[in-house]
Order: sequence, then structure tokens, then C-alpha cells
Amino acid sequence: MKKALTAAAFGAAVALALVGCTDSAAGPTTAPSDSDSGEVRTVRVAALPIAETGALWAAMEEGIFAEHGLEIEVVPAQGGAQAIPGLLNGDIEFAIGQPFGPFRAALADLGAPIISNYSSSLGADADKDVNAVVALNSSGIETAADLAGKRVSVNSLGAAGDVTIMKAVQDAGGDPSTIEFVEVAFPDAQAQLEAGTIDAAWVPDPFMSMVANGEGRIVIHPYQETIPELALLTNITTQKLIDEDPELVKAYAEAMAEALDWAQANPDAVRAAIVENMGIPEAAAAGITLPTFTAKLDEANVTSLAELGVEFGVLPEMPDFGKLINLQ
Amino acid sequence: MTSATLVAARPRSRRSSRGLRKPLLGLAGILGFLITWQLIPTLGIIDARYLPPATTVLAQLVNEFSDLEFWRNVGRTLTTWGIGLAIATLAATAIGTVVGLVPFLRRLTHTTVEFLRPIPSVALIPLAILMFGFQMPAALLIVVYASFWQVFVQVLYGVADVDTVARDTARSFGLSRASRFRNLVLPTALPYIMTGVRLGAAVALILTVTAELLIAVPGIGRVIVFARSAGDVPTVYTYVVVAGLLGLIVNIIFRLVERRILSWHQSVRGEDVV
Repeated sequence: MKKALTAAAFGAAVALALVGCTDSAAGPTTAPSDSDSGEVRTVRVAALPIAETGALWAAMEEGIFAEHGLEIEVVPAQGGAQAIPGLLNGDIEFAIGQPFGPFRAALADLGAPIISNYSSSLGADADKDVNAVVALNSSGIETAADLAGKRVSVNSLGAAGDVTIMKAVQDAGGDPSTIEFVEVAFPDAQAQLEAGTIDAAWVPDPFMSMVANGEGRIVIHPYQETIPELALLTNITTQKLIDEDPELVKAYAEAMAEALDWAQANPDAVRAAIVENMGIPEAAAAGITLPTFTAKLDEANVTSLAELGVEFGVLPEMPDFGKLINLQ
Repeated sequence: MTSATLVAARPRSRRSSRGLRKPLLGLAGILGFLITWQLIPTLGIIDARYLPPATTVLAQLVNEFSDLEFWRNVGRTLTTWGIGLAIATLAATAIGTVVGLVPFLRRLTHTTVEFLRPIPSVALIPLAILMFGFQMPAALLIVVYASFWQVFVQVLYGVADVDTVARDTARSFGLSRASRFRNLVLPTALPYIMTGVRLGAAVALILTVTAELLIAVPGIGRVIVFARSAGDVPTVYTYVVVAGLLGLIVNIIFRLVERRILSWHQSVRGEDVV
């Protein structure tokens, strides 16, 4: 009897959970209505759950995409590298990702070009930037040159983080080949610093502020030191979609350009969207250094970044910019 | 033999005190685990910012119980898990039975199976995304692949375990192929299948949460990723505990089902006594 009761209780719990599921799963899995132009089209966009996505969330809330006949469904894909298989397979139409994903896609001739910029790091005259190499005060690391021979973490190896750090160290007179880069996710960097497994970490906000306001300091802003106003995130799609549905790509690019301009002018709305979508406290969101949101891609800076990639051996050769960039 | 007679001779009171001792021991184990967990951050072995004490996590867990979204996420995870496990079980039982009953097929596939089986399912994630995008079927591919082998190998062993004398007897009594399967092969293989399904259920749950972590399929795994991106450590551990609890519940349910279905089998009948 007792056993039957326990079993019934478990059954009820599972049933309850399952009831909840069927109810809510109906929402996001509704098929995108293949409609005539003029009606709302659903597009799936891969974007990480990071502070920079705040501009997209806020613009969606503001209804900017709806005005262009688009309904955005944000797919929280893990970084640009993973988003590209999803793009090629057609499950997602667009991805917001680092330029190194498209660099490699262009080298492999996968047909996944950058169609516009999303966000850029701050200019050389700004006294802050969106990311930094941070270290604990006790580490004795104060300048870029001190990073030589140290263990430095980046969120993904062979991308903008490590190449700009190597360049900054080289410019400061250090030997970049002696830096030991390790892959540590941004949220884990502070714990790893304090545990002593790494000497310095490359992190954006809110993690940058958490270390700098605690027992650590900002050593350098590697983007500012090397390529200021560098494209952080870009809008990526497939050449196939550009060829087959140029109107959709055009509509997305236009809506995105408007959304980014609006986000640039309304940082408070962006911060509010970060609080709402990421569940981080308002005080922490207020301290986040936002990037420059703009759809204008600075091709010279992207070229410099690819050149650094080749110089430091993370890219085998320069990607074909005809395949890499297809501005919309 | 001696032990069997001894056990049989035991008075009934011993048995009921034994029945009480088992859950008590289990409870003591959980308590010990919780105390250890509580002490690690309290004593500063690991900073409480990165490993919140058990009390913090359990308090948040209780709060989550009243949140509908929590139950939706549990439901999403269990849906992927359930569908994945069902596909894996059906496929593995069907294919396993055929392969297991035909020696030629068994020899033909043996090396291939041993090659495919140890491939970590997680390594197939890029393939899964390429095939299905960031959708539930991509997670299912990972889940089915991992749990399929658990069941398949058990089915192979189960089908092969048929007693030769019984098989020859059935043949000489002229039992039809279907009757031999129903009365001989199935009862022999059933305990193996049940074991396979129970192992597969645990593996399927692990891979469901992993897929949610890595492919961003909705469910408790995705909550963990989001909380982690936001630096919300207590939520991360709350959902890690949820994953553990789901595993525990799944195991208990499968043990109950196993006991019910195999109540005639000596492994279950014997359990009360031994």
C-alpha cells in the first residue's frame, strides 16, 4: 500500500511535469509560417546569452523587427563555431558571432559570409573597453610585457582574444610565443584566477568588473592596444540564403541596422533587457561596459584581425574577402 | 545451500528490522553528503562564491518548486529523455533480438558494434546540429545513440542465454517459431532487457542534460548554461541537484517496474530473502 502510494506520488510528479511541458513546448516549436511578403516571417537567429545580445533583446521588445515584418526567435547557440553547422543546415537563418567563425568558414569555402557588423569595441581614446586581460593584484602582473611566460585564459583558442593579446605583448617588447593560452569559459575565469591555475584571464563584463572591483586589476584592453573599434560580433548568414531569398536577408539587415542604431542611442533599454533576459542584478548590469552597436563593418579592422591571425599561426592563410564579406 | 536454509529459518522480526534499516542507511548517507557539502564552503576549502553551501542551494530549490517555469523545464528534459529512451529501447530490442538469434549476423556485426559502442555520443554533436539544427531531434540523436548500445548489448546477451536443453526440448516438442520466441526467448531475455533499459535510462538522462547544455535545446541543461553565463552560481548548482534528483527518481521507478515485471524471476523472488 505504502509502495503503491509512493509510486503514485512519483507518477503524479512526473505527470505534472509532463503536463507543463506539452503546454509550453507548443509555443517555440510552431513552424515558421511560410507567408507572402508583407506578413510576419519568423527567423531564427543564433546569439549567445551574453550582455551584448542585450541590443537584440531590447530591439525585439521595442518592436523594431516587427516593423520590418520579422519575428526573431533567439537560439542560444554556443558561439560562432557551433552556429555555422546550424546555418548550413538551414535550421537558423542568421547568427551573431565573432569574425573568426566566418574566417574559417571562408577558408573552408562553406559559404557563410558576414553580412554586417553587430558590435564593435571602443575607440583608442576611451578610458575603458568591453573586455580586458585581468589579473589578481597578488600576481605582480601590471603591464602587457608581464604576460610573457604566463598562463593566460581566453574563452576560445585561436580567435580574437589570443591573437590581440599576443600582438599587445609583442608591441610591449615581450615574447608572445612564451604565453601559455588555456581555454576557460568567461564565468569560470575568476575562480580559476583565485585558485591559481591561471595567471591572467581575458574576460568581458560583468566578469571584468567583478575581478577589477575585487582583488584584481585590469592589465590591458587588448583590442584597444592593437585594433581599436574592432568588430566584436558580426551578423552571419549563408550565401545560399542570400541567393535564394535576397529579400529576407535585406529585410533582416535593414531591421538589424535600425535596431543597432536604436540600441546605441538607448543604452538604458539595453541594460534593462540584459537584466530581464540574463537574470543578473540591476546593479551589475548598470556597471557593464557596453560596446558600440553599429551595423557598419570596418573592413580594414577585420583585415587587420585576419592578418594577426595569420601572423600568430591561428589561421593557415588569409581568407578570401570576396567570400568572407557580403555586405547587405 | 547452508546459507539458504539459514535465511529461511530466520524469524520474521529480523526481516522487518532489515527493511527499516535500508532506508535509514540511505537517509544517513544523504545527510552525510549534505553535511560534507555544507562544510566545504563553510570551512573555506572552496570559496562559497563558487560552491554555495547546501542550505543556500536547497532553499532555492524549494523556491523553484513553486515556479511553473521550473516544472516546464523539468518536463522538457523528461520529454526528450522519454522519447529518446523509447526509440533506443524499441530499436535495440528489435535489432538486438534479430542479430542475437542469427549467429551469422552476430559474427558479422560483432566488430562493428565494438567499434561503434565506445564512441562518445557527445562527439556526434556537430553532426547532430548539421542534421537537425538546434532542435530537439538533434538532442535525440545524441540520447538515442548513447542509450541504444546499453540496451542492445544486454539484448544480445539475453537472447543468447537461452538454455540449450530447454531449446532442444522446445524444438522436439514441435513448438512454432513464434511460440518458442514467446515462451522461451522472451522470458530468458527479459531480465537482461530490463537491466539494459535501466542502465539506458540513466545514460539517456545524462545525455539529455548534456545535449541541453551544448546544443541549447530547452530544458534544465539550458537553464544551467544561462545561469552560468550570468555568473549565477546558486542557480547552476540548484539545477545540478535537480538533474541528480531526476536520475534518482528515474532509477527508483525503473527498479519498481523491474520488480513488478520480473516478479516471477528468481533474481527478484530471491531478493526478499537474501
